[in-house]
Amino acid sequence: MIKTKTWVLILGALLLTALLSCLILYTRPAPGTVANIYRDGVPVRSVDLSLVTEPWEFTLSDERGANVIRVEPGRIAVIDADCPDRICVEAGWLSDSASPIVCLPHRLVIRIEKNAAAEGDPVPDTVSR
Amino acid sequence: MKKGAGRLTLDALFTAAALTIFVIELQIPSIGIPGVKLGLANIVTVTAAFLIGPWDAGAILLCRIVLGGVFSGQIMALWYSLAGGTLCWLIMLPLRRILTEKQIWVMSVLGAAAHNIGQILVALAVTRTAAILYYLPVLMVSGILAGLFTGIAAQFAVLRLRPVMKKHFLR
Amino acid sequence: METVKRFYMYSLRGLLCVLPVLCLLLAGCAREGDVPDPAAPRTATVFAMDTVMDLTVYGGPESLLSDAEELIRTLEEAFSVTDPASEISELNRTGAGDVGDDTAEVLRTALGVCERTGGRLDITVYPVLRAWGFTAGDYRIPTDGELSSLVSRVDWRRVSLEGNHVTLGEGQMVDLGAVAKGYTGDRLLSLFREAGVTSALVNLGGNVQTLGTKPDGSLWRVAVADPLGSGYAGVLETADRAVITSGGYERYFEENGRIYRHILDPETGIPVDNGLISVTVAGERGVLCDGLSTALFVMGEEAAADFWRGSEDFDMILLTDDGRILVSEGLEETFTPAGTWAAAPVTVIRHD
Repeated sequence: MIKTKTWVLILGALLLTALLSCLILYTRPAPGTVANIYRDGVPVRSVDLSLVTEPWEFTLSDERGANVIRVEPGRIAVIDADCPDRICVEAGWLSDSASPIVCLPHRLVIRIEKNAAAEGDPVPDTVSR
Repeated sequence: MKKGAGRLTLDALFTAAALTIFVIELQIPSIGIPGVKLGLANIVTVTAAFLIGPWDAGAILLCRIVLGGVFSGQIMALWYSLAGGTLCWLIMLPLRRILTEKQIWVMSVLGAAAHNIGQILVALAVTRTAAILYYLPVLMVSGILAGLFTGIAAQFAVLRLRPVMKKHFLR
Repeated sequence: METVKRFYMYSLRGLLCVLPVLCLLLAGCAREGDVPDPAAPRTATVFAMDTVMDLTVYGGPESLLSDAEELIRTLEEAFSVTDPASEISELNRTGAGDVGDDTAEVLRTALGVCERTGGRLDITVYPVLRAWGFTAGDYRIPTDGELSSLVSRVDWRRVSLEGNHVTLGEGQMVDLGAVAKGYTGDRLLSLFREAGVTSALVNLGGNVQTLGTKPDGSLWRVAVADPLGSGYAGVLETADRAVITSGGYERYFEENGRIYRHILDPETGIPVDNGLISVTVAGERGVLCDGLSTALFVMGEEAAADFWRGSEDFDMILLTDDGRILVSEGLEETFTPAGTWAAAPVTVIRHD
């Protein structure tokens, strides 16, 4: 049998760890940037940009063509695509919810949507442009 | 009274108690973070694990979760509870053997923590968003504290109920 | 082993008792599901009119969003200048003909804006726009001779509309691009309104139109895009209004260090370069706001302010290339600059 004292120590340590990670996590600037990727208006992929530490890339492709997407801490971009206009590539980096990256030929939209934990200014419902 | 029938009656009684407590707790307004709650019904699960047996506790927990999901009308919440409940029960199995009567509260604390981890895992699978992990620390803190509270309550219940049980039901 | 068996037995018995109740309740839930929760938004993304359209409605019948998409497709088929089968393409080929009710209605409104703004909006500028390559993306700078011959044919007054019969002037072509999305927005909102919806938001490629307030009664927060960066220049709190922005930043090309933007001065056929970089018009009618935002952009700061003083049916926000904000009186309280524009000097345009 394990002594009650030992249990108190184990659980106390667990509580302390949880409390500490709370402190570290929640005193940092709130993570606000989740990039959602939609194809034909349907969400196909979601990346939390505030959790990205190392840049990485992935390719989204279907019968219409492919878009190479690069993710860096706090931002996302289409770095290569085989669509005719390449407007999605020229759009450059996306780091806030203002204006989505759109690839019309491939029916692809990348939007940044604030997650529920984000604080600060209330986010606008939409953007007129 | 036949032994099996007595046991079944006991399980039904505990399930009813757990459901009642669960429904009453539904009336307590949420503080806004999903998953953070007292989990008072846990008292019944822990008590049952010690008084009747871990398998009976599992059956009671399962019935409580399914019925509770139906009563609260939140079918999505049912999956979260099922995952949480399964993990909670899995951790109870070995604990039941190594804990003394004065350490019953430990089972509740670890059970509550396991329950919350189970919920996070389902949320992770459903949303495929790693950001969900962000809630883990706050759920752990609330789970440990709530588990401590319900655990102490369960310990009192076990110590008080054991003599009664011995006299009227089993063993 | 025995305990395991007992566990399954008990669970099974318990669930067997529960099952009928469960089925009953689930069936009840499913029936409730037919009536959408008025507090829950439903959204649709539609790719049409060479852009992305986002529709958000609260409540209304199940089929509402698919009806809306169908409406968008119908209007797109009528208005498109790039689709050779559209009514407008047909009209541009033949120079005269009968058009459908929607096209006639849009043409009538557009010609009204052309007249009201003294031709600062001109729907017949299309051949010039095409010469610059703004319609197809094959950008180039037209020669002076080419420009002057094209510009000489630009004149909205030579377009005649009687009932549904349109006649264009010699060598003229029309483009409803400046008003088509605004009209589509108006039609969408009246579709929603007729379906009993009291709260909706549509964003048609940047043209924002709102129906009512948000379901909780608070105002919609419509950001105005920052023409110089990727964020926004400010936020407008509004209800029951169209908020439509024109800026050259959407489509442009660069040659020999000069930037050519897609909004042309109908008088010269040359891209507007008057110090304005963004014009936002807020008003009740989307089609009007859409047309006016282009016209005011062409007018420039002072003429736009004068024009506003002579009007009653809209308000506006102007952003200049030297970092100033001009806001008409009606939006003074509800527009809040943000981001890099938060510290910009704000001038309120007032009635004299």
